[in-house]
Amino acid sequence: MVAKRFSRTVIIILLVLAALVSIFPFIWMLANSFMSEDQIFALPLKFWPDKLFRKGMWDNYREVFSNFSFGLYTWNSFLVSFLAALGQIIVCPMAAFAFAKMRFHGRKAIYTLLLMTLMIPVQVIIIPEYYLMMKLGWLNTYLPLIIPSFLAGAFGTFMFISVFEAIPMALFDAAVIDGASAYKILWRVYFPQATASTATLFIIAFMNNWNDLLRPLLYIIKPTLFTVTMGLTRFQNQYTTKWGLILTGSVVSVLPLIVVYIFCQRYIIENQMSSGVKG
Amino acid sequence: MAIKQKYRWHSRLTPWILILPTLIGLVVFRLIPIVSSLVLSFTKWNLITDPKFIGVKNYTELFSDPDFWKILGNTLKITAGYVVGGMVFGLLLALLVNNRIKGMNFFRAAIYMPVITSAVAVGIVWTRILGPKYGILDFLLGKLGITAPYWLQDPNLAIWTVTFVQVWKMSGYYMILFLAGLQAISKEVIEASVVDGATPAQRLFRVTIPMLSPTTFFVLTVAIMDAFKNFELIYAMTKGGPQNATNTLVYSVYLNAFSYNRVGYAEAIAWVLMLVVGILTVFNFYVKKYWAQPLE
Repeated sequence: MVAKRFSRTVIIILLVLAALVSIFPFIWMLANSFMSEDQIFALPLKFWPDKLFRKGMWDNYREVFSNFSFGLYTWNSFLVSFLAALGQIIVCPMAAFAFAKMRFHGRKAIYTLLLMTLMIPVQVIIIPEYYLMMKLGWLNTYLPLIIPSFLAGAFGTFMFISVFEAIPMALFDAAVIDGASAYKILWRVYFPQATASTATLFIIAFMNNWNDLLRPLLYIIKPTLFTVTMGLTRFQNQYTTKWGLILTGSVVSVLPLIVVYIFCQRYIIENQMSSGVKG
Repeated sequence: MAIKQKYRWHSRLTPWILILPTLIGLVVFRLIPIVSSLVLSFTKWNLITDPKFIGVKNYTELFSDPDFWKILGNTLKITAGYVVGGMVFGLLLALLVNNRIKGMNFFRAAIYMPVITSAVAVGIVWTRILGPKYGILDFLLGKLGITAPYWLQDPNLAIWTVTFVQVWKMSGYYMILFLAGLQAISKEVIEASVVDGATPAQRLFRVTIPMLSPTTFFVLTVAIMDAFKNFELIYAMTKGGPQNATNTLVYSVYLNAFSYNRVGYAEAIAWVLMLVVGILTVFNFYVKKYWAQPLE
């Protein structure tokens, strides 16, 4: 009994430690956003932010939003991520339904190719993609950020294939006997059964696009079109030592996702777990 | 699942209509670029004038450049460090969060949080934490009487610092994958080993870890793929420096193509990268045959 209680205590201590190590950088980011430049370069280091709950508490935020348009960047990121994620939850179930329920020539071959492209690092394809976007005249638009993610969502397709294959055949048979068309079976019978996966895919695609750096860096030159992740790096390159402002920008860039995460974490984690077992 | 087609419930065209967008994406944004990359790696090109065919010159230049070997070495170091670190921490964390304790969801969510946040913001805040003199880590180590090294400025250390941050960011992901595997192990097997008098250590090494091997293989595959996704972190933390110490294949493709305008050369690097990924993948499947048994 004593041994058991002891090991329980050890486990709790380790858990607290792990959680602390995981969260601390975010807390420190937040703390720095309420610090003055004086405090950031003061020795010995002081942990408590000098401007927190004092006059000028929101100075860094005011500067980041009014002088450096982080509000606009955030909106841009939202727009791009939303459209790219929306595309995936339409296109992926379509392809998945065909792979899971229909027989057609080349089905295996296309499936294998799709699976193989999952392994390929983006750097292998990015140069021809850039050239294509340039020739299409899509530089300085959001199309290069949205369209590839929209059309080439292999991960989402595989996720929906496994969901669709797990739906009882009885449901399928009933729909066919009722004479429903293939599209009706997909959108009215199968798709509604996959709400949790749809939500998860939407969130994952949204996050991936929100956090993407390479494509915005290549395709977007006009400052009014910057996404928040990319805008942050520009800001960092320009003001290397203005840590208060840089970390305030970082807070602005991660906060929307963290808020979404706090509400959806069970969804996300459970989905990751079920896709893990499949592996 | 076998599909018995007693009668047609869809036309021949229907599956093609359904996969059309994905097929276009596959061909236009994956297959054509992959092949073009290979072709372009045999040319001299700056994205503006016509590419000029120069045979294997990019590759011979690459292989005779000591910087390239350094960059390849860096890539292998990061990959090895990341895969081992991510998997070890992932497994340890999974064993930790696989206990029944009140509020466990909070701990899982907290440990998973770095996974969902942007590598850029993560890179920035870690640069601040690890910064010389004014960084909080050096300050705390100073209190313990330890003089901290230059985490990101020392060329020998910087690569491991970046690897550490990448491991820190992603361990929560592997934790969740391992947790799923742990929970799929039947309770009876574990209980049987307890009845047979296995010590906790024996239980872990003789029962749990062997039974986890399909998951371990899956995590290995995923971790190897993730190991190459360090562009954002390097861009935010070191820009490949100091003196190429943290430059990797993925980062140098970007540098050569979009900073130095050496597109053909960049494509040669990209194909070396492709080869490395290919070799690791094949190796992985080879290992799998001798190692992982399928889950029941």
